[in-house]
Amino acid sequence: MTPFKALALSLAAALSLIPAGVTQAEPLRLIITEGVIEPLPFAVPSFVAENGEAGDYAANISQVIAGDLSGTGLFREIPSSAFIAQVSSFDAPVGYPDWKAINAQALITGAVSASGGRIVVKFRVYDVFSGAELGDGLQFAGTTDSWRRMAHKVADAVYSRITGEGGYFDSRVVFVAESGPKNDRKKRLAVMDYDGANVSYLTDSSSIVIAPRFSPDGSRILFTSYATGFPRIYVMDTGNLKARALDEQPGTMTFAPRFAPDGRTVVFSLEQGGNSDIYSLDSGSGARQQLTNAPSIETAPSYSPDGSKIVFESDRSGTQQLYIMGAGGGEPQRISFGQGRYGTPVWSPRGDLIAFTKQHQGRFHIGVMRTDGSEERLLTASFLDEGPTWAPNGRVIMFTRETSGEGGQSALYSVDISGRNLRQVATDGPASDPAWSPLQP
Amino acid sequence: MNTGHVISGLGHGAAVVWLLVGGFFISRDAPEMTVTQVSLVSSAELDAMTAAAAQPAAEPAPEPAPEPAPEPAPEPAPQPAPEPAVLPDPVPEPQPQPEPAPEPAPEPVPEPQPEPAPQPEPLPEPAPEPAPQPTPAPDPEPTPPAPVAEVAVLAPVTSPRPRPKPAERVAPQPVEAPPPEAETAPEATPEVTPEPTPDPPVVQPEQPAAAPEEAGTELLTEANRDQAKLAPSASIRPKARPARSEPAAAETPDETASTPATDPATDNSDADAIAAAVAEAAAAAAAEAAASDAPAAGASGAPMTQGEKDAMRVAVSACWNVGSLSSEASATIVTVAVSMDQSGKPNPGSIRLIDWQNGSEASARQAFEAARRGILRCAKDGYPLPADKFDQWENIEMVFDPSGMRLR
Repeated sequence: MTPFKALALSLAAALSLIPAGVTQAEPLRLIITEGVIEPLPFAVPSFVAENGEAGDYAANISQVIAGDLSGTGLFREIPSSAFIAQVSSFDAPVGYPDWKAINAQALITGAVSASGGRIVVKFRVYDVFSGAELGDGLQFAGTTDSWRRMAHKVADAVYSRITGEGGYFDSRVVFVAESGPKNDRKKRLAVMDYDGANVSYLTDSSSIVIAPRFSPDGSRILFTSYATGFPRIYVMDTGNLKARALDEQPGTMTFAPRFAPDGRTVVFSLEQGGNSDIYSLDSGSGARQQLTNAPSIETAPSYSPDGSKIVFESDRSGTQQLYIMGAGGGEPQRISFGQGRYGTPVWSPRGDLIAFTKQHQGRFHIGVMRTDGSEERLLTASFLDEGPTWAPNGRVIMFTRETSGEGGQSALYSVDISGRNLRQVATDGPASDPAWSPLQP
Repeated sequence: MNTGHVISGLGHGAAVVWLLVGGFFISRDAPEMTVTQVSLVSSAELDAMTAAAAQPAAEPAPEPAPEPAPEPAPEPAPQPAPEPAVLPDPVPEPQPQPEPAPEPAPEPVPEPQPEPAPQPEPLPEPAPEPAPQPTPAPDPEPTPPAPVAEVAVLAPVTSPRPRPKPAERVAPQPVEAPPPEAETAPEATPEVTPEPTPDPPVVQPEQPAAAPEEAGTELLTEANRDQAKLAPSASIRPKARPARSEPAAAETPDETASTPATDPATDNSDADAIAAAVAEAAAAAAAEAAASDAPAAGASGAPMTQGEKDAMRVAVSACWNVGSLSSEASATIVTVAVSMDQSGKPNPGSIRLIDWQNGSEASARQAFEAARRGILRCAKDGYPLPADKFDQWENIEMVFDPSGMRLR
């Protein structure tokens, strides 16, 4: 190597060092693709009772909020016995280190005042590790009778602030309450809070009723009754509990009704002459339109949230499968192609998924798939799971599970759409056919 | 000309003619030449090979094992199964007569007697026929789409791709369940125990075996729990070789800088001396410049190694919890900037969202809050960062990409 060459190489090497030392302003960049999926720990110190009358309400409301959040499977309550700090005043500054020490990532504080049959609940949510409040404080006012609803509303707000999606706690579920042995079962409509509280009955057990469905505003309920000996659709006003039959056509049977998102149109199955097809009915004018016309069984229609499409089940291909067609009818497109049989499809309120019942190899499943039939996922498996219904936020599905055998009983279960957090919904007795209401105003 | 010359002339002539023309009668398709690489082997090597070849007769199995079976017919009888809940609604059970009387039951029979067991009746075993009995009648022209049944079978129902591995934790790379005695850790590390040798003072800190927490490609749900148990417990496929850690680019500059000066092959000592002097001067100038840029931290050492970056990444990952995010937020990629102090703790006020992808502003905010919680939560004692390279990690940009750990 000539001296000149060596000199040049050395200079080049040396110069390459200089920028490396000088341009250190570039931040270190890390790409993180793995984290953990676990419930977020939160603390709900008992709400502060601002007067003597509010004592019980404060404690109960705190419990309901904690129960709502824990019940989602997305949150984990830290027991009060682990608390280092106590909250004695709603406006007192939060001692974040005390809550950090017990790994509470979210803190919910609140206060309740009650007087003259009215109650006021206010609350705040804190991100403990950031040392900041999540959103502003809020308060709800109502009658003392509605304290549970106010607790659910607080829980909905907390859920929404942390997860970024709407809650579903302040909602109701209509279902079929059952009693008696399997071969002589009595059925009647009942309605309850989403968590099984506040049950009330809408019909007596003089006739069999099935498949209740809420209207989009929750003010009416469609259901199928065998009061005449044949299945026929009725609509009930939830205010006065008066029911009337829809579309009374002699010689036909109507069943599987569901409201369109406009709350005016009803889609249902009508059986005539041994063949069942799907029809829509304008509940105002009574105008009826036939949407399918095939020699096969077409039933269980469900609208997309925008009302432009309908998913339904049909055995036109030889086995029971799911199809989608326009809201005005037209050529249906099959979307289910997996093994087994598919039924009772229900479109998610978000519009992105369709829940269904699947039977395969002697087992029943609740599953979800994309609206084009892709990404099918089975969430449950049992002797008999059927009839899914979506929570208002499209995150949770409730369904009926029946146990086998002579003494088999049906019960309501809920499951997260990830397949986690399967849990039984508390009811007084056997129950089936749940239908979730929208969030209450 | 004597006879001998004639015979000789004819013979040579014939030979010449044959040489010129004879080729036409010979096939030109000469057999392909096969060329084989040959290597020379010493007698000792040959002995060794033959000795080894004598034993293998006992283990000729390795090949036959491979393909156990090309998946026995995955089609498990779609027919026999009873009608699911075809539901509900149809035909009232009491009427054994499938023919609905034209008259809409004038006798309302307010009796609440009507044999319950109305519709669902989906009992898995029996019920070969759905309730409604449509009896398609003659159905001549409506084009009975019978073949569609076949389509159902032929359609890509389930691809024979490897069965996804359900687990309680989802990660881009499925990980087998760690041995019971192993602790879980983001990265697999072999067990390290103190060397038994008494003499050499090996300073090897005792460390329990660790393995990543079990992970699969999809969440373990009730629906696939049984399948998970029935699935083959182990694959024959050998484990992938662990990725070799990148050679630390750290040393490179030093080496290049010093090489010319110390290269023994160079015989020009004058040139070496000049080069060494220039390199030394330049390196000193660079170090000085770096020191002046980060006076508090002092001079920076070599660039951060991949291991040092991984340590930081793993530490943050352990606290980044996306379990409580909405579906949209848990699919949003956020880039978060943070300033650190010299003890390896983030400055809470400096954490900010600088970019996001795949989501709305609202979902980005939720994803950012989860990322911020993660950064702060695991920083109690400071992150494991090399103090001598503070100027390199004083400002960090972290990209939180949850796409590999989808919730739904």
